[in-house]
Amino acid sequence: MLCLVIYLCRKLTLLPPPKALTRSQENANLISVLLELDDEPREQLFKLYKDQFGDSAARYARQTYQKWKAGTVRPNKETFRRFLINLPHVMSFDLKCEVLRELREAYCAHDHYKVTVSTDDWKSTLAPVVEGVMKKAMTAELPASVNRRLTWLAEDDMTAANAILTESEARQTKNALALLEKEFSNIEELLDNARGRSEVTHELRLPLGTITLQIEKGNGNG
Amino acid sequence: MDDENDGLVPQKQSLFPLSAEDIVDNALQSLDEQQAKEITKKAADEVVKIAVEKRKAEYRSDRAQEEMRNLIHNANLLDEKVGDYKINSTFETATGTTSVEIKKSKTNFTLLIAVVGVVVLLLILIFVFLKT
Repeated sequence: MLCLVIYLCRKLTLLPPPKALTRSQENANLISVLLELDDEPREQLFKLYKDQFGDSAARYARQTYQKWKAGTVRPNKETFRRFLINLPHVMSFDLKCEVLRELREAYCAHDHYKVTVSTDDWKSTLAPVVEGVMKKAMTAELPASVNRRLTWLAEDDMTAANAILTESEARQTKNALALLEKEFSNIEELLDNARGRSEVTHELRLPLGTITLQIEKGNGNG
Repeated sequence: MDDENDGLVPQKQSLFPLSAEDIVDNALQSLDEQQAKEITKKAADEVVKIAVEKRKAEYRSDRAQEEMRNLIHNANLLDEKVGDYKINSTFETATGTTSVEIKKSKTNFTLLIAVVGVVVLLLILIFVFLKT
C-alpha cells in the first residue's frame, strides 16, 4: 500500500525529463544569441563575414539575420560553422569578448529571489542573498555542452576574457549594492511622506540575478 | 566603495583560489605581445565602461528621487480633493525598478464601519429578543 502511495506521488509530482535539444536547435540557439550583439560589434561581425565568405553570403546573412534571431528561419549547419567555428579565429579579442558576454548572458543561469525587508533591517536581511549572488557572479560558467561545441572558448585568450567579464560582473554587482544605500534613503523618504498609504516593491537587477524586494516601513530602530 | 555599503557586500572578495588578475596574468604568459596588448586594452575599456554605467546609475537615482517627491506631492493634492484614489508608478532607478502604489479608499472604510454597525445592532437585537 505504502509503495503504491509513493509510486503515485512520484508519478504525479515528477516532471517529465527535459527533452534534449537537437543539434540543429542548439545551433539555432547559439546563432540567435550571437545576433543579440549590440549594433557596433554586430556590424564588425558582418564585415568579417563578408571578408571571409564573400558578398553573396554576407548579403544573405544580412537579409536573414532578423529571422534567425527570431527563430522563424533555422540557420543551416554551414551558417553555424561560419559564424561560430570559423569566424572566431579571425575575430579581434574585443569582438570575441562581446560574443562571450552574450553567451554568458544567455547561458549562465540567472537566479531570482524574493525577499521582504523593512527600511530598518534591509541590510542584514539582504546580506546572505547578496552573498549568494556575488558568489554566483564570481563562479558562473558556461554549460559544458556549449564549451564542447565552441572549442575556441578554451583558448588562453578566452580564459583571460572570461576572467575580465567575471571581474566586471562582480564590480557591477558591488556598484549596484553601493548605490542601494541611496535608493533605500529615497524609498524611506517616500514611505515616510506617504503616511501608510503606499506599497513599495523594488526589483534589484544584478548581472547574474534579480532580487525582488517587498519593502515595508520600519519603526526607526535600524 | 566598501564604506558606502558596509555589511552588505561580502568583505572577503576571494571566493575562489585564483583572482581575476591571476588568471589574466597566467593567460598573458602564454600569449604573444599583440594578444597581451589587446587583453590589457579590453580590461581598461571594461573599467571605463563600468565607471560610465555607475555615473549613469547615479543620475537615474537622482531623477527617481525627484519623481518620487512629485508623486507624493500629487498624492497629497488628491488627498485634499478626492476621497478615493489609487496611483501606480514605476521609477527606473540606479539599481533596477521601483514600483509604488499609493491608495486611499474612504468608501471602503465607511462601508466597513457601516457593516460593523449593522452586525453589532443585529447582535444587540438578538440578545434583547432572547432575553425577553
